[in-house]
Amino acid sequence: MKAYLKNAATAGIIFGIITTFLFLINFIGTAADLIGDITKSRPGSSILGLSAVMFNQLIFLGLIGIWAGARGSRKDSRLEDTWKHVLIGGALAGAVHGLIAGSLAFLVGSLNTAGVKINEYLSQILPEVIRIFLLNKTPLQGALFYLVFMTLMGMLGGLFGRGVLRSTWRKNIGARRKELWNSLTHHEKVLKIRANPLTRYVVYGLLLLFVFLMPLQIGQYWNYTVGTIGIYVLLGLGLNIVVGMAGLLDLGYVAFFAIGAYSVALLTAPTPHNLQWSFWLVLPIGIILASLTGILLGIPVLRMRGDYLAIVTLGFGEIIRILSKSVLLTPFSGGPKGVFNVGAPTLFGKPFNSDVNFVWLITLGCLLVIFVTNRLQNSRVGRAWEAMREDETVAQAMGINTLTHKLMAFAIGAAFAGLGGILFASRNQFTGPEDHSLMVSINVLSLVIVGGMGSIPGVIAGAFVLKGLPEILRQLENYRVLFFGVLLVVMMVIRPEGLIPGSRQKLELQHTDKSQAPPDTADASEGSSPS
Amino acid sequence: MGIHNAVKNIKSISAYQVIQFVIGALFIGYILWRLNEILRVNPIYGPDTWMRFAIAGLILGSVYALIAIGYTLVYGILFMINFAHGEIMMIGAFGGYFVFEALNAIPTPTAADPELTFLSAQPVISVLLAFIVGMSVSALSGYFLEKIAYRPLRSAPRLVPLISAIGASIFLQNAGQLLFGAQRRDYLNPEVLTRGNGWEFPVGEGTVILPYTGALTFVLSFLILIGLFTLVQRTRLGRAMRAVAENKPVAALMGVDVDGVISRTFIISGAMAGAAGVMWGIHLGLVYYFVGFIPGIKAFTAAVLGGIGNIPGAMLGGFFLGIVEAIGPPILGLSFQLKDVIAFGILVLVLIFRPTGIMGEVLTEEKV
Amino acid sequence: MKKRLVVLFSVLVIASMALSACGPGASKAPEACTEDPLGCAVIEKGQTIKIGMGAPMTGEYAAFGIDISQGASLAVKDAGQFEGFSFELVSEDDGGSPEGGASVANKLVSDPSVVAIAGHIFSGATLAAIPIYEKAGLPMLSPSATNPDLTAQGSKVFNRVVFTDATQGKFAASYLVDTLGISKLAVMHDGQAYGQGLAEVVRDEFGVLGGEVVAFEAITPGESDYSAALADIAAQGPEAIYYGGYAADAVVIVNQMSQADLGDVLFFGCDGTFGEDFVERTGDNGEGAYGTSLIPPASDAKTTFDAAYLETYGEEAGKLSPYTWSAYDSAAALIVAIESVAIVGKDGNLYVPRTAAVEAVRGIDGYVGLTGNVTCDAIGECASSGPTFYIVEGGDWVEAK
Repeated sequence: MKAYLKNAATAGIIFGIITTFLFLINFIGTAADLIGDITKSRPGSSILGLSAVMFNQLIFLGLIGIWAGARGSRKDSRLEDTWKHVLIGGALAGAVHGLIAGSLAFLVGSLNTAGVKINEYLSQILPEVIRIFLLNKTPLQGALFYLVFMTLMGMLGGLFGRGVLRSTWRKNIGARRKELWNSLTHHEKVLKIRANPLTRYVVYGLLLLFVFLMPLQIGQYWNYTVGTIGIYVLLGLGLNIVVGMAGLLDLGYVAFFAIGAYSVALLTAPTPHNLQWSFWLVLPIGIILASLTGILLGIPVLRMRGDYLAIVTLGFGEIIRILSKSVLLTPFSGGPKGVFNVGAPTLFGKPFNSDVNFVWLITLGCLLVIFVTNRLQNSRVGRAWEAMREDETVAQAMGINTLTHKLMAFAIGAAFAGLGGILFASRNQFTGPEDHSLMVSINVLSLVIVGGMGSIPGVIAGAFVLKGLPEILRQLENYRVLFFGVLLVVMMVIRPEGLIPGSRQKLELQHTDKSQAPPDTADASEGSSPS
Repeated sequence: MGIHNAVKNIKSISAYQVIQFVIGALFIGYILWRLNEILRVNPIYGPDTWMRFAIAGLILGSVYALIAIGYTLVYGILFMINFAHGEIMMIGAFGGYFVFEALNAIPTPTAADPELTFLSAQPVISVLLAFIVGMSVSALSGYFLEKIAYRPLRSAPRLVPLISAIGASIFLQNAGQLLFGAQRRDYLNPEVLTRGNGWEFPVGEGTVILPYTGALTFVLSFLILIGLFTLVQRTRLGRAMRAVAENKPVAALMGVDVDGVISRTFIISGAMAGAAGVMWGIHLGLVYYFVGFIPGIKAFTAAVLGGIGNIPGAMLGGFFLGIVEAIGPPILGLSFQLKDVIAFGILVLVLIFRPTGIMGEVLTEEKV
Repeated sequence: MKKRLVVLFSVLVIASMALSACGPGASKAPEACTEDPLGCAVIEKGQTIKIGMGAPMTGEYAAFGIDISQGASLAVKDAGQFEGFSFELVSEDDGGSPEGGASVANKLVSDPSVVAIAGHIFSGATLAAIPIYEKAGLPMLSPSATNPDLTAQGSKVFNRVVFTDATQGKFAASYLVDTLGISKLAVMHDGQAYGQGLAEVVRDEFGVLGGEVVAFEAITPGESDYSAALADIAAQGPEAIYYGGYAADAVVIVNQMSQADLGDVLFFGCDGTFGEDFVERTGDNGEGAYGTSLIPPASDAKTTFDAAYLETYGEEAGKLSPYTWSAYDSAAALIVAIESVAIVGKDGNLYVPRTAAVEAVRGIDGYVGLTGNVTCDAIGECASSGPTFYIVEGGDWVEAK
């Protein structure tokens, strides 16, 4: 079998599986609704003898089919990218794709006609969904239709791939654009302006002004979202110190967040203790408590290697959460109900009661933490952390006291998380055990890695992607968490260094030779060997 | 290492050893005091209750052990935590569930029981089929998981595959929910294995039941574990696996197909998880998209407890964790709500004394 | 590149300033809106009147959210058109958590065409969401948030069509003592806000009534093995187990009771454990178990609803959660209240004065729904009746004497 035919058949099978999966989770129906929203087609209307929903569904399936064709007709290194090959490849990919989709249609259709309640097992596959998928036809007709439809779409995709995606003019345009961009950015005058320190301050000033004015414009919901993102930036920067700089894998980072949140909640709320202290007094207390806990946790786990550390910290996070909701500590911590009416800060007698104020406060916190992190990164301590991360034994030999430096990383990381927790509880006026689940730790770790380990802009970008994107994806309600998972995998596969990698990590990854890579480069924090 | 480190060890470890000693002494003292309290001074639990705790712990432990093996196998070879392992178990549990549902739809009427179905008429074949299908689908998903989400990351820093694994875990969990719905489903069982039925024997003042499903779970997992151990120690594939774990480039030079061995490791670990999933379903009777998550985390803990990368260690860790969860709360006089706190607390304690787990890391020791 | 940024930002800043300068222009809003301190919800011609809902649509308790939003959508469908406007249910996923509740509330208040909230579903999420709706003037009518604290805070916007945990707990404790003659009770719960709150009420009331609570034990919800915890309870020799929590975990407990020598002990559940699911999945083990029902007594309206639910969703009403019917009532009652205050403006848009809507919902009086007569009192308790106890007999729930 010729290589390009094999490639086409493989693409067809993969896309067939994808289409099947999308059908089984009824994403196809949701996508059809979405297309209907975008094209503003009225639900009742009919196009080409099909109802609007069916037509929109065909648009979506057609797009998948075109994509399959484009993938299936990809140029083989030994073959010329001729129109004939492209057409045959696209058609084959489409036919295989259509064969799978058609068999699926035939199968569910006949089962449905036979009276089997498919949705008892596959909860999304209601008779209505099947009817729409089969376009009101009999199972056999529907299956044949998809075979033909997908083959046509595959050929179209092949043409599209050859004519647009891989065409010479597209390459030319890309190259020209790059040239133009370079000539612009590296123009003498531009370089001069860039070199001028004043530019930097102007840009920063405008950025600050933007950050200051933005909350006034975007409304309550987006302020809430931006605030949450800001808090995750705080958490991410803290974890970045522990994981990114010092190389200590911490899966229970939420524990410190919880301690910050609970200290402000218990000290300022009317229940369960009615202490009602001032926010500004509690702020340092919470931060210190969190970092003390960091040290306390740090001491016993200092000698553990990377993955042992991971599970112990994970356990520690769970311990804090379970204790906070346990019957045993309910009188102290508010139990599963959590603590309500957490105090908000007051400034010059004016209480912080609007979302706008909190966005400002959180932004201020972020700026402070960014400043501290930046200074730390370039300091002696920061370099010691990096040395420790790369090779602990060598770092020790160079005279770095690894014990104190590890503890410092824990303490500072925990302090940032504590600050995040305080702001979080105070803004929400609430905190409870479910705010501090394992998922928070996982989210923060993911955002650090997705953004780019060891890089401050990376962490900020990561927070926007991980906390902002799900909010935008709310349109797709049931599917957003699913996509989040896919995004994490895809992101890691195509861009493992993160969105905006730190300069060191970038270098490291570029110089890694595939066959000889040691299994652990990031957190080779190996303790003294077991005796 | 060398002299410098040795000097360093003497200086810093002495303080550490003092802490170790104090914590250890306090803990052992407390346990002894509690044991005295609960067994002699104020015996609230009769021997029958202790027996029930032990049975619950051992059965749970055997399932944990099976899942923990999967973590340990993968870790031993790739040095990565396969976070999606619990979800692989969920897939296996669903595989068995559908087999039972399908077999229950085949009528095999007899004169005595006109409503008899294949499931109850042929329990041995049914259970075997469920295991075969459950283990196969799990093995397959393990294989594809590795191929799609981990293989492209072979040379990336260690945290990258972990995040990819977390992403895969989230994806599989939500795909399970979208496909099969959010509700918990009942696991049909052959009639002989009706849950709650078992051998009854009198202990002390009460009667203790050893459920058939529990006994099946225990015996099967033990057999599977022995089989796996033989595989790793005695067969060519096992030797290749150990070689890859030891040193990939050298193993490749010796003619070992490294990628193939890694794929097969994922298949084996997936099959173990699948078996655990079917057992979970048969013994505990339910399956839903979230069924793998908590056992996954627990088994991960068990694997670390025993010394990750170490197969007998994972077995020991699994049983130990199961028993601690069942017996820990009554011994310490705490609510069962806090059993995870106790489990993780024990983990920390064990790691303080043995930083590489109870049995240590056999597979990687020489590497360190 | 930096220069481009500078220009971009200046444009952005100036634009944002310009935008803030021009507020809402002179509108053709009816007088009621200018008089209303919180203004009006405006539904433009051709748009739908939105009823919001915050419910767990993903995650472990997704079944509740899906079921409740399905029940409520039927009410929205049945409501038909009002002055040429149709209604729409917007269910947002709050995951059942307080954080999600606040996030969804912030989202829903930013949409001016959302007029009322049929929710939220879980008490924790609801408690976090109330202050946000309070500020915006969106009336709430929850079908399932039963925590007593919710109405105790003096909220103007929050109402509910279910009875509270305090009421249920008191009734259950006295039923256990007086009718069933139980003297030694073990109380279990799932350690969540709802379950623990209910269990605490029962524990305290049972003690007051002269019974002895031999154990108060929490389990970790979502696990599948509670046999060790049950063995512990068996050692205390209770005559009955009261459980506060949801059916998913109650089923597991009931099925494992016989293994722990608790086969003869009575299981007494709550409204969270009630439902078809419980009976189906406990089988013989569930015989004789008690539950608290939210199922309305049989009526024509209920028969119609059940048939419609089965037809639309391919599943029987009440299978996913016991709150299907109250969900229908809460959405339907909200729609009636909104219709009573909505005004069609001269421009053809529909205006709903916020404060008036809040008052109208609090003032719901004698609305006849599936669960009976819905009438809200001064603090927003609109449940028509106290709990009814049911017992499983012959594989079905029957009303207990």
